[in-house]
Amino acid sequence: MTDTALSGHAFEAHDHEHHHHDADHKPGFFARWFMSTNHKDIGTLYLIFAIFAGIIGGAISGVMRAELAHPGIQYLTVLAEYLPGDKNFDHALHLWNVLITAHGLIMVFFMVMPAMIGGFGNWFVPIMIGAPDMAFPRMNNISFWLLIPSFTLLLLSPFFGGAGTGWTVYAPLSTYGEPGPSVDMAILSLHLAGASSILGAINFITTIFNMRAPGMTLHKMPLFVWSVLVTAFLLLLSLPVLAAAITMLLTDRNFGTTFFDPAGGGDPILYQHLFWFFGHPEVYIMILPGFGIVSQILSTFSKKPIFGYLGMAYAMVAIGVVGFVVWAHHMFTTGLSVNTKMYFTAATMVIAVPTGIKIFSWIATMWGGSLSFKTPMVWAIGFIFMFTVGGVTGVVLANGGIDDYMQDSYYVVAHFHYVLSLGAVFSLFAGFTYWFPKMSGRMLSELLGQIHFWIFFAGVNMLFFPMHFLGLQNMQRRVPDYADNLEYWNHFATIGYMIMAGSMIVFFVNVIYSLFAGKKAGDNPWGEGATTLEWTLSSPPPYHQFETLPVIDGGDHH
Amino acid sequence: MTGLKGIVLAASLAITGLGAGSGLAATPAPAASPAAAAPAAAAAAPIDPMLVRDGAPELAPTVGIGQPGPHNEITIQPQVTANGRYAEWFHDWILFPLIVAISIFVLILLAWVVIRYRKAANPVPSKTSHHVGLEVAWTLVPVLILVAIALPSIGLLQAQFKPAPANAVTLKAIGNQWYWSYQYPDNGGFEITSNMLKDKNDPNFAKGDRARVDADGPRLLATDNRVVLPVGVPIRLITTSNDVIHSWAIPAFWIKLDAVPGRLNETSFTIEKEGLYFGVCSELCGARHGYMPITVQAVSPAVFAQWVKAKGGTMPAPKSASQPAPALVETGDPQAVANAMGPVDNAAEEAAPTTNQGATANPGASITGK
Amino acid sequence: MSGAKNHAYHILPPDIAPIMGALAGGVLAAGGIMWMHSAAYGGAVFFLGVALVLATMFLWWGKVLTEAKAGDHTPVVQLHLRYGMVLFIASEVMFFVGWFWAFFDYSLFPRPLLYDAATHTVSLVTDAGAAAASTWPPKGMEVIDAFRFPLLNTLILLLSGTTITWSHHALIHNQRGGALKGLWGLIGVGENDGVKKGLWLTIILGLIFSSIQAYEYSEAPFPFKGINYTSAFFMATGFHGFHVMIGTIFLIVNLMRVYRGDFTPRQHFGFEAAAWYWHFVDVVWIFLFATVYVWGGWGAPVHAG
Ligand code: HEA
Ligand code: HEA
Ligand code: CUA
Ligand SMILES: [Cu+2]
Repeated sequence: MTDTALSGHAFEAHDHEHHHHDADHKPGFFARWFMSTNHKDIGTLYLIFAIFAGIIGGAISGVMRAELAHPGIQYLTVLAEYLPGDKNFDHALHLWNVLITAHGLIMVFFMVMPAMIGGFGNWFVPIMIGAPDMAFPRMNNISFWLLIPSFTLLLLSPFFGGAGTGWTVYAPLSTYGEPGPSVDMAILSLHLAGASSILGAINFITTIFNMRAPGMTLHKMPLFVWSVLVTAFLLLLSLPVLAAAITMLLTDRNFGTTFFDPAGGGDPILYQHLFWFFGHPEVYIMILPGFGIVSQILSTFSKKPIFGYLGMAYAMVAIGVVGFVVWAHHMFTTGLSVNTKMYFTAATMVIAVPTGIKIFSWIATMWGGSLSFKTPMVWAIGFIFMFTVGGVTGVVLANGGIDDYMQDSYYVVAHFHYVLSLGAVFSLFAGFTYWFPKMSGRMLSELLGQIHFWIFFAGVNMLFFPMHFLGLQNMQRRVPDYADNLEYWNHFATIGYMIMAGSMIVFFVNVIYSLFAGKKAGDNPWGEGATTLEWTLSSPPPYHQFETLPVIDGGDHH
Repeated sequence: MTGLKGIVLAASLAITGLGAGSGLAATPAPAASPAAAAPAAAAAAPIDPMLVRDGAPELAPTVGIGQPGPHNEITIQPQVTANGRYAEWFHDWILFPLIVAISIFVLILLAWVVIRYRKAANPVPSKTSHHVGLEVAWTLVPVLILVAIALPSIGLLQAQFKPAPANAVTLKAIGNQWYWSYQYPDNGGFEITSNMLKDKNDPNFAKGDRARVDADGPRLLATDNRVVLPVGVPIRLITTSNDVIHSWAIPAFWIKLDAVPGRLNETSFTIEKEGLYFGVCSELCGARHGYMPITVQAVSPAVFAQWVKAKGGTMPAPKSASQPAPALVETGDPQAVANAMGPVDNAAEEAAPTTNQGATANPGASITGK
Repeated sequence: MSGAKNHAYHILPPDIAPIMGALAGGVLAAGGIMWMHSAAYGGAVFFLGVALVLATMFLWWGKVLTEAKAGDHTPVVQLHLRYGMVLFIASEVMFFVGWFWAFFDYSLFPRPLLYDAATHTVSLVTDAGAAAASTWPPKGMEVIDAFRFPLLNTLILLLSGTTITWSHHALIHNQRGGALKGLWGLIGVGENDGVKKGLWLTIILGLIFSSIQAYEYSEAPFPFKGINYTSAFFMATGFHGFHVMIGTIFLIVNLMRVYRGDFTPRQHFGFEAAAWYWHFVDVVWIFLFATVYVWGGWGAPVHAG
């Protein structure tokens, strides 16, 4: 880690007495927020966007949970009344598919990714490597703004019938299965979001490779920077394949090609290969930055350097590399040959090894430390456990022979919400509460933060744990109605949702209150454990930090 | 189809065969049976008391078997195939205990660290950041655990891919938006269509439809025409689709196989217990994805033969098990393959596998018209 | 020293181009959807989007050129640009991986298709003849003769690879200027001016390539719609062709900049980026030629003339 070597002497010259000079000269409102070339402002925009999208995606999941609270159709028919389209029962059922598709896409592309990479990545990657900004500040901004038309297209699509294909957009349901403009809107929304992410990835890789401050070798970079580096490579190499796949969808739908239409020799399974070649790296795209965030926080609040730093960094590299060759574990029931299934079973399980290295190194980081349980720390510890629970069910699913039972059941839904809604989202809250003082200059309320954590923790576990049971009892995914015997746990889960939702109110109160009336934050509110470069700057940092580059003194972190 | 006369004939034949049938006839008559008089055929011949209206042998569902449990059940459904029992054992006795153990291990470590190294208990942090032995250990131990999982896992995959033997009964399940149609190519190629039975208060319930009663099965799981399959006889399942992708699944058999337009997917299983087993379409296929259930009624081979005859189908003549497999496998015409390797009346006869080809080798060449 | 910039990075003032570009992308996408669904003014909105995208590029890259001239592109910033271009090309490679994936799926696992050239229709063989009908290309299809225009195009692109390298070397060694003589002289190219000569030739070869490709499409013995072969063929070669056109425009811009004297032997990243891009397009073609045209058409009847 960069820890002790960096604790601030090398660039003392640059301190907060001087903000009122050029470094802090901010442009006017419009220029600042709509024409920004400043990584921190763009990061802020990303975070606001992600919170907005998270509220929408979370609200949609609230409608879903309400509908699933009891067997039978409760609210979809009501919803159908308010949306254009047929008023018949089938349209109401179709709306279910529209809801889950929107929920999945929003949470993945417009909440987790923008928050992790666009938000925290933008804010802290340049600072942590001692750079004044990103490599391509202008391109950075278009990455953000592309999300706006992209999200708009997606949000408007329900008013044109709605894309009810699932977030995986499988052909041929998404080609000749759903005419009408909605699916095209979803596809082009993904094109725009994909372009945004590819440009972002190029920007991050260039920044990290080329803008590290003197002395900041790759092996001294904070783990969060490592995580964003690996993530950016995954984005760069996987998203273009998705772009090709959804372009094929587009031409199949509108221009008469038959990529996925068997009548013309096309192959629906080809789409799944292309999608998951992107889709599996995508799930690591969503979790790796979380790994990075958690590493920073554990080290800070344990007052200890990361245990096994190199192993941690290269474990992420390994996860990224192996993540590219396991995609067909999402396709075990499509009729793969036995050898293919064996390969993908084995390859998938391999990922548990580097992930295990991370889990145990985190625990070892805390071991012997002097732990203080501030809000970010409880989120991070919660993350470790909840991610483990989600990860080990992934290992169950990885067994091709076992997956024949689980595939497309709520067991899978439970698995991926544990790694996402309890994994990625926990790390988001961890990062948000950790860096909030740095970004805003104000402290969050510790009390409200702890209340938020504990209620959220109870709520989401009640919400998602019973889904394992539902899956084992064979409740299939993507249905608004289910056999009456499955009511008990579904109802239970919905109660969990309401508890979780209550905690979110605490969260928003905390954020809004603290933004205006929170205690002023010093440069480093977390104390001696916080050793990365952002804590050497003022809170919030000057508009342009590191006008004179910090020099990281030699000596290894080891 | 042999027409009405054939059905009547078959039905009377079936009655005579009842004595040899299973104990099914002893099942108390469910509420549905009085209505069994409905079909026109009833006028021509006495209806087989063993058949419910859809022509499937009468059998009422058992809660907890072949369907989600009665209340707040949390486990895998009871398995009635050998592979299913193997897989369930693998899950319940290896995977599940293992993941619980790993999770608890991590939880205990976390709890220990949190208690022992809280600031109050340990004001001065150590600065250790390396321990080669530990790092090697937590790399190697998971590797060993995973190898230990991989062995039975690969065994399971191999067992699941054992191709159906020559005497197997072929069931071809065809997905449609939103119902299943089934063909029995080995049995004269008759076809049945299986729609979900709607409740009276279902918004899509049309006048004249038969409403679901509890004897048909649970809401959303019951169908008007059940798939009838013999127990103890290997079943070769072939799936395909006429429109989008569906997935044919019966959890109690540990079977889930996507029905992909333009492809023929194949797998096999042998049901061990008579009973009624429910499943659901397991791939998103549009609005009524949740409304195209699968119902399999497993009966004794003799009853199966009767049912086939009642449906106007035929039972193939017994043939020698040592008969070499026809080279049709390579032609990519599964119907021909299936017919050539059709089942025999005498299900007890052991048949050698006819081919080493993986049951789901799924040659890209296998294409059905759309 | 505080407050003053003490590093070689390029800190930019606020800029309207990004939000404009994003908006343009949105208009383009919305217009495309409207057009595909025959909504009123769909085509108009689409072309408005295209115009806005082009305008953004003009505005954006125009600024980049100004900044380059103003000396903002310090060595480290030039290195940024290099990284950026290499990574962009890497992502483009992965884009083509998708199209090749489709092609290999169809060609390695052929379906029993029957193509009727007379009616341009395709049908599936479902009876016992299916296995025999499972060929690649689909039965009944005539393919483009790989060893006529495609081979010629291969040679053209390979040659253009050498001319761009020539031009680049000439630039590095400052082989420019010289007397204006003959035909070259008429278009302002000096005797020793390998930079301009090489660029001109590359552009012309690129244009010839595109023309031949367009001709080949118009003469293709199969339609665009309805068959996996043609889907894979036209989309893969079509996207390649699209990239050739982008590359050609990129080169033309560079030629204009050469005339304007923008490049020095030491700073000419725009030129290099175009050259890399051109080589990338070149390599993709080699793969297309070898797999789609030669291997993928092997054994199939060849369309006569
Ligand atoms: C953040 C996102 C994320 C992450 C990190 C993961 C991680 C993993 N996932 Fe998950 N997954 C998803 C998101 C994610 N997944 C999503 C969204 C889907 C559904 C998509 C859809 O269909 O819509 C899915 C579906 C999915 C499937 C397909 C299920 C199906 O549809 O039938 C499979 C099958 O193999 C799988 C496996 C795994 C495995 C093995 C891991 C591993 O990486 C987990 C590794 C972690 C651990 C194992 C825990 C820690 C390790 C230790 C404590 C060491 C000791 C452990 C052992 C020795 C076992 N996942
Ligand atoms: C990151 C991804 C993510 C997240 C967080 C969630 C969160 C939730 N999800 Fe899910 N979900 C998916 C991804 C996600 N989901 C995907 C991919 C699918 C599959 C779709 C498909 O089948 O196609 C799915 C499907 C899915 C289903 C199955 C639907 C079906 O198959 O029929 C259900 C059912 O209950 C569900 C419920 C919920 C609920 C109640 C939450 C709640 O936890 C939601 C509460 C909200 C939050 C916890 C987020 C709050 C965050 C913010 C407000 C932003 C904060 C930002 C900063 C701090 C910067 N989701
Ligand atoms: Cu059919 Cu889902
Ligand atoms: Cu995966």
